[in-house]
Amino acid sequence: MADFLQNCLDGIAIGAAYALLALGFTLIFGVLRRLNLSYGPSIMAGVFAGTAAYMAFNAGLAEVAIATVIGAVVVGAYIERLCFWAIRKDMAVASMVSSFVIWMQIEEGVTLLFPDRTYAFPGILADSVVEFGPFFLRASSLAMLAIAALAVLGLLALIYRTHFGLAVRAVSENPEAARVAGVNTGLVTLLAFACASALGGLAGFLIAAGDQQITPLFGLWATFKGLIAMMLGGMGSIPGAVLGGLLLGTVEANALWYLGVETRDLIAYMLLFAVLTFRPGGLMGQAALMARRAAESRV
Amino acid sequence: MLDDHLIGVLSNMGMISFIALSAYLVLVVGEISFGQQAFFAISAYASGIASAMWGWPFLGAVLWGAAVSGLAGLLLAIPTLRIRGLYFAIATLAFAEMVRLALEIFTYRVEVDGELVGPDGSEGFRDIRYIYEADISSGEFLLVILALLAVTLAAILWIERTRLGAMLRMVGEDPVLARLQGVNVNLAKIATVAAAGLIAGIGGALYAHLNTYVEPKIFNVMLGVHGLAYGLIGGLGTAFGPLLGVALDIGVLESTRAFSGYRMIVFGGLVAVLLIVRPRGLLDEAAVYRIRRFFVRKDAGD
Repeated sequence: MADFLQNCLDGIAIGAAYALLALGFTLIFGVLRRLNLSYGPSIMAGVFAGTAAYMAFNAGLAEVAIATVIGAVVVGAYIERLCFWAIRKDMAVASMVSSFVIWMQIEEGVTLLFPDRTYAFPGILADSVVEFGPFFLRASSLAMLAIAALAVLGLLALIYRTHFGLAVRAVSENPEAARVAGVNTGLVTLLAFACASALGGLAGFLIAAGDQQITPLFGLWATFKGLIAMMLGGMGSIPGAVLGGLLLGTVEANALWYLGVETRDLIAYMLLFAVLTFRPGGLMGQAALMARRAAESRV
Repeated sequence: MLDDHLIGVLSNMGMISFIALSAYLVLVVGEISFGQQAFFAISAYASGIASAMWGWPFLGAVLWGAAVSGLAGLLLAIPTLRIRGLYFAIATLAFAEMVRLALEIFTYRVEVDGELVGPDGSEGFRDIRYIYEADISSGEFLLVILALLAVTLAAILWIERTRLGAMLRMVGEDPVLARLQGVNVNLAKIATVAAAGLIAGIGGALYAHLNTYVEPKIFNVMLGVHGLAYGLIGGLGTAFGPLLGVALDIGVLESTRAFSGYRMIVFGGLVAVLLIVRPRGLLDEAAVYRIRRFFVRKDAGD
């Protein structure tokens, strides 16, 4: 039992990182109704921008964080223009494939600029541990959990309390009507994309600072973990992203402890497959999706 | 006659064409699959087990591998019937990663001629030596690949000319309308995904026997994305489309030295731009129609 509880704590710690990644994913999906598979690689490119600042100028933590966020936003804007803005609105699947091939481009570009396997990244709170009786949690994980909670509140406030958020929701509901009502849909989409990339850059910075190192494989990891977490919670749902992240982390930590490292990832994909086939909208996803499927199958 | 490098390039093109054709078939019925590499992997293992461990002849092993991966396609198609678009694509991705990770654990070894042979988890599956024991040269094996590819291509082209082909395209264009026209949409999708699994399986069996060694990490998601991208580059109007895509990528980008080191950047950019200007590829339905009409008019003029 004590093992199980400690596993759950470890799971919540890594789940906080998954939740942060899933939030950016879900924001992009919520606005565009399209999936950006290059989200992880854009964060990876940002983290490498941070590493470059750290190695070249011996920059401090704040500067590294800013470089990371700027790098992620710049690459994110490139993806938005090429894979989403330029492709017709009704071709959601073409955008997804396009974002997948741009992933290869980003990964090869970063590997050309940074040919070594791993690079150092400045750490924060990397070695300190918080204890609760017999259980313990890394301080960096606790910080990540707090920042994920803040990010959710900030995102909810941005989407539901500001004029920009109103425009984002209008574009998400019906881009045509939003345009007629005077919303600059292209700009709103680009800004929402930039917000998601900035959030991703922040997540990437916190994860890399916890690990104190970074590899180009981070892009693959970030996309898959964020994607699974978002799909578990339900695409486009902000609370769902957090729930999905924490669920994925907890399941993985227990699978790792009881079944071993190869089985851990297998279980994660089985969970994703099961959710997609039995409850495609995710745990907190839209009931509307299911209703439409049901209506179509009756025709 | 042909040098070894050229034979190697042509063999690779032939084997990858099976994945491209299988991804293309799924695209025809209107779905995107990121997971065709799973069937390639399943058949590579199944056929390798048959020939190296059970002592089956080569052709039997290839047919067995294709049958097993076709069955796996059926098993994927049934639970994913009610999901579409993005959801189907991610489900195929999850399926393929499940297969790859399961192969990382899968161990089944028996003693053959005093040596332990068989898949050994993440160590991979060595000594699938049939073509060396039977003394088949790489040129002869290339002919086997091309013959099987020609048969597969002919079968797809023939089906596309029949009523069944028209029904499959209708399902891809508009499933609701297809159902109103009396097409059994579910059956069409299940059969197509199973057939796509079978076709990818032929390629996988050939791959295992040519390389004598396979390991799970070869069958990662990038293999499937390449297979998918070939159809999108070459065109979805005809089964020659994916082959054109393979020829452009492996024949031009990989085999010429000009782009070495930048291949992914060029390839990624090429696909992204094509998706913007020609979302259904170079040989899309309209292009195929124009080409066909060009030839038909010429015949009529004679």
